[in-house]
Amino acid sequence: MGGRQSWYWRQGIDKAVLALSLVCLAASATYGAAKQSDTPGTQGEVAGHVPDQLEQAQQTPASATKTGDGPPRWWAPGEGRTFPEFVEYGDPTGAVGLYNQGGAFKTAGHPFFEPLGRNGRACVSCHQPADGMGLSLRSIDERWKATGGKDPIFAAIDGSNCPSLPQGDPASHSLLLKRGLFRVFLPWPPKAADGSPIKPEFDIEVIRDPSGCNLDPKYGLKSANPMISVYRRPRVVSNMQYVLHRNFGIGAFVGKTGEPATRDPENGQPVNMNMMADARQPTLKTQAVEAAITHLQFDGVLSPDQLNRIQAFENQMYSAQVRSNEAGSLVEADGPSAFGPRNLAKGEKGVLGNNTTKWVFPVGDAWQKQKPGESDAEFAMRQSIIRGQKIFHFRTFWIKDSMYLNNVGLGNPVKRTCATCHGMHMTGMDTANGWMDIGTTNAPWAKEAPRNPWQTEDELMPLFKITCHKNVAPHPYLGRVIYTQDPGRALISGKCNDVGAIVMQQFRGLAARAPYFSNGSAANVRELIDYYDRRYNIQYSEQEKEDLEHFLESL
Amino acid sequence: MSGTMKTTLAAAVCAAFAGNAASAAERSPLPFVACPIVQDTPSVPCWITNYQGETYYLGIQSDVSAPFNPPSLGHKVLVEGSVKKGAPRICGGLVVDPVTVSIMPEMSPECDDMRQVDPRYVLPFEPPRPPGPSTGKLAFSYPAPPPPPQPPYKPMTFTVPYEFEGMVNFKTPRVLTPPLNYGRLTQAKHIEITGYRGATKLSDGTILAEHDGIAHARAEEIASMLKGAGLDKAHYVVTADEHPAIGGPDERRTVIKIVP
Repeated sequence: MGGRQSWYWRQGIDKAVLALSLVCLAASATYGAAKQSDTPGTQGEVAGHVPDQLEQAQQTPASATKTGDGPPRWWAPGEGRTFPEFVEYGDPTGAVGLYNQGGAFKTAGHPFFEPLGRNGRACVSCHQPADGMGLSLRSIDERWKATGGKDPIFAAIDGSNCPSLPQGDPASHSLLLKRGLFRVFLPWPPKAADGSPIKPEFDIEVIRDPSGCNLDPKYGLKSANPMISVYRRPRVVSNMQYVLHRNFGIGAFVGKTGEPATRDPENGQPVNMNMMADARQPTLKTQAVEAAITHLQFDGVLSPDQLNRIQAFENQMYSAQVRSNEAGSLVEADGPSAFGPRNLAKGEKGVLGNNTTKWVFPVGDAWQKQKPGESDAEFAMRQSIIRGQKIFHFRTFWIKDSMYLNNVGLGNPVKRTCATCHGMHMTGMDTANGWMDIGTTNAPWAKEAPRNPWQTEDELMPLFKITCHKNVAPHPYLGRVIYTQDPGRALISGKCNDVGAIVMQQFRGLAARAPYFSNGSAANVRELIDYYDRRYNIQYSEQEKEDLEHFLESL
Repeated sequence: MSGTMKTTLAAAVCAAFAGNAASAAERSPLPFVACPIVQDTPSVPCWITNYQGETYYLGIQSDVSAPFNPPSLGHKVLVEGSVKKGAPRICGGLVVDPVTVSIMPEMSPECDDMRQVDPRYVLPFEPPRPPGPSTGKLAFSYPAPPPPPQPPYKPMTFTVPYEFEGMVNFKTPRVLTPPLNYGRLTQAKHIEITGYRGATKLSDGTILAEHDGIAHARAEEIASMLKGAGLDKAHYVVTADEHPAIGGPDERRTVIKIVP
């Protein structure tokens, strides 16, 4: 650790906040077995990029505004109410249910629910139970209106487009208010685990900067603490035993790239790297350490007990849609085993489901015949959901030019189905560790307001120009010059092939937490389907789109 | 239709397209560099290529377990191997078997031939993996790993193969796991890694050499992988032979010697 400590000192970072964190973690029973590693993100308790983030977080003003409790569906930090064993909340297409496998408990004093940092936020601020443990644009809009923009979720650090903008002006929070995006700030060049800079395979240039943050003299790329700001959706903190599984496809090396997998600093075991959009943190605990610094502006040290409680809570939560406005209950005792959070809790974790012996989302024969008491409308919607499930598993189309799918032994193009990539039993995630580029952030596929005389919407997202160095192979599908809104994994690895590659997300509780994709570019499930239809020229019929939409909204 | 009838029909259709396979094979057109073509069929797509007026069948789409690494549109491929004498054509092409396909790194946008289902092309075998869900197993099974070595442990060497101009990719973990496990088992103290650079003589006489420096880059990359995967206590000796050895795929390799 000598190198790391001297590096902190050289940067003039106050102390020892991170070093103390390490001491605290080291005190835990298992940490003594942790091995140092050269792999970015695994050495010590946090990844090498975190000290720079800490520096910016500490420089950013914050005030903890207590806005009072919201409506019952909103969990404000520090309310102290009891988290039940099961709860459901209405959403636009029915209701989402949360199953707390550990049983009811009081949240008072629980580190997931308490405002730990300077800006008054808690973990629950952006992982709301009513939004399936994510955060919907609907909730963001409601909180803005209810608090006049004073809710801690709008904190300057990342709830505004840039901390340097006038806070409280809707224009300064447009990315959060319009697309549900929080600012993620990462050092450039990227940092290895020991804090040393990684030599990137490409140059990055800011072409467009609507937020102003990438060119900001204090917070931007040319500041004293060079940072790139990208804007991403909060991920769902639920069904984490699937997200973090160490089962099929997880080993010492990343299956898609061949590189060494990031390892858990507590036990040295490889992790699946499927938790964050860029896989920059290996475990729930290391993610909590970073999130406390960057999102909560927490200047203290999370104790081993706090980290254990956060981890335990996140591991015991299951969420999924439980009711459809038109299909009725999704969780009847004799219903399909794909649906509902209790079935998720019972399901096999980390199993490949793209096969005829174990479906990604099993529906069986439960809804094949109309049951007594089932209305014609309910039966019709259930039939549509079943058809959607079949489309998901069987409807083939050509998948082309998608990094880490077409270059991993399947060929480019490959004729396959949704379930090819979204293959993990019960979640639709990828079972293998890794990330993929389907074009959501890269030109020419990324959604952005086009510049033409007939539209009035301004671009919201930054645009970066990536130029791959001549001594590395060009990106196989995008070449040496790539335009992107978010370089994704490449901001951590510095690799040309990783530009725009994003770790895919789980499909559960979708109806409760629009918008979708890491950059919030699909406002609803139909837009999500339309994106794939355009991207891969699938040519879904209107009926197919409707069925697929109903199916996805039932998950 | 029964499986037998299907196979018989497929064989008949393929026989009709067999042509003069033997005479073409004698021309020994391989290795060559050409654009790949994806030809869809009623079951799974197959990959073919045209070279000097002849069509060659390279393989089919299956899954990640396949020894055949399918090409990529947008890139040329280096095709190494030999035409299988007497084999009936598949998807209209002479069968190259054994075949090694390397995707050339630079982009070739002219390689964009994607052909829809042609009912004349019915595969003469049941594809091991349909485009939709599998039957619950990989298309190809790997050989069972040998039993773990017993003490006294001796130095062991392992070889990592590459595509032309290739570095570590999705196939590398499978070949790198045995040396990693042996290094862990024996608590290796010394690891020697040597990278090699290959060159291929094309059928038109052109020498196609990998770029200078790739041998070193390969060796360094393998060393960093082993260290990153936990073999970080051993003493590493990393060397490279940048002389382009003319030959086949075997020349493109990194050799790892684990010394307990």
